[in-house]
Amino acid sequence: MKKHLRYLPLSEVVEGMVLGASLTIAENGVTNFTLPAGHVLTDSNLRQIVRRHGEFACVAEEDTRSDEVREAEYAHLQSRLDTIFSRADRSKPAIAGLYAAVLAYRSL
Amino acid sequence: MPLHLSESEIVDRASLLPAFPSVVNDILQTLDDDNATLGALIHLVERDPVITARVLSIANAAAMAGRTQRDVRDMQVAVSLIGLSKVRETVLGVSLANFSSESRMGRHFWEHSVAVGVAAQELARLGRISTDYALVCGLLHDIGQLWMARCYPLEFQMVRLSLSLEPTLDILEAERKHFGIDHCAIGRLLATAWHLPTSVVAAIQHHHDAHPPADKLVAATHVGEVLANALDLSRQDEARVVNLSESACDLLGIDWNDDLNYLFGKIEARARYLARIFS
Repeated sequence: MKKHLRYLPLSEVVEGMVLGASLTIAENGVTNFTLPAGHVLTDSNLRQIVRRHGEFACVAEEDTRSDEVREAEYAHLQSRLDTIFSRADRSKPAIAGLYAAVLAYRSL
Repeated sequence: MPLHLSESEIVDRASLLPAFPSVVNDILQTLDDDNATLGALIHLVERDPVITARVLSIANAAAMAGRTQRDVRDMQVAVSLIGLSKVRETVLGVSLANFSSESRMGRHFWEHSVAVGVAAQELARLGRISTDYALVCGLLHDIGQLWMARCYPLEFQMVRLSLSLEPTLDILEAERKHFGIDHCAIGRLLATAWHLPTSVVAAIQHHHDAHPPADKLVAATHVGEVLANALDLSRQDEARVVNLSESACDLLGIDWNDDLNYLFGKIEARARYLARIFS
């Protein structure tokens, strides 16, 4: 089963979710809490994250969509992105780089 | 025919807006003051009951998560639980959220402002400049539009109509057509009248420039707004990317060939998180 990554505010993260990227909380440049990618979040973990003022987490979810649905959703996302960039000159390196980076992020 | 507005008329008309929260200037001053104390920050927080309640509420959430079972009512305890930087961020966000709400601006306007504020904060981290300044710049970057909507609602609607009828029209051109001036120039006048730091004034003034001045705070605000639109964070139909300054990206150390998924994800998730905390 394919997985896809979602970045969620902490209010939407619940026990049992799997971290898609390591979660690190730092204060004044010093790391004071860390969990590895692949870790299954527990209620205790969530309390520790709240206590340390964590704000978000990257979670990995099973992608249950069929290939057809996935392709249709990708086409929809690309169409929306084309509209947002419709007045930009995509031959300029910064604009082209941003467009590609956003498309890559939306394809996670 | 466009309006003919003098600079003094624009500043005078700002009296139609709610009073600008002086706590924003006070907080920014404490950042530049090496002698500013924890007590000074607490004093600023306690001046406003809405902000006090919000800070205590966040502190209580942290205390409950730590199973300490205590009801935090003392601001000194609250600040020690939350941390200075988070308290500053909360005070800035809540006070400007109240200002926007009392100005009767729509939800999308505020959501866009928070999204740009968060994006500017994350870019400020990359560029190693103050995240508090960046947050304020993002939250206030479109303050000129708020003035337009409140002081001249008919002309403001005509700008919106022009943009919907002529999708290739630049927003600044449309504003100049009806107001004789654009929202960036109005924002500069308001921010100056409210005695905001010159770097914040410059960021508000130049956030739409194709070639903004070489200043990291201006760059973070300019690129922050572009990212908020590119990521469609406030889900407004009219969100558009038009210009992106190469030199602003270079100044902040952004390389588009890097993996930016974490940066984008952090901006998207924090924007949703803080929109809820601030409002």
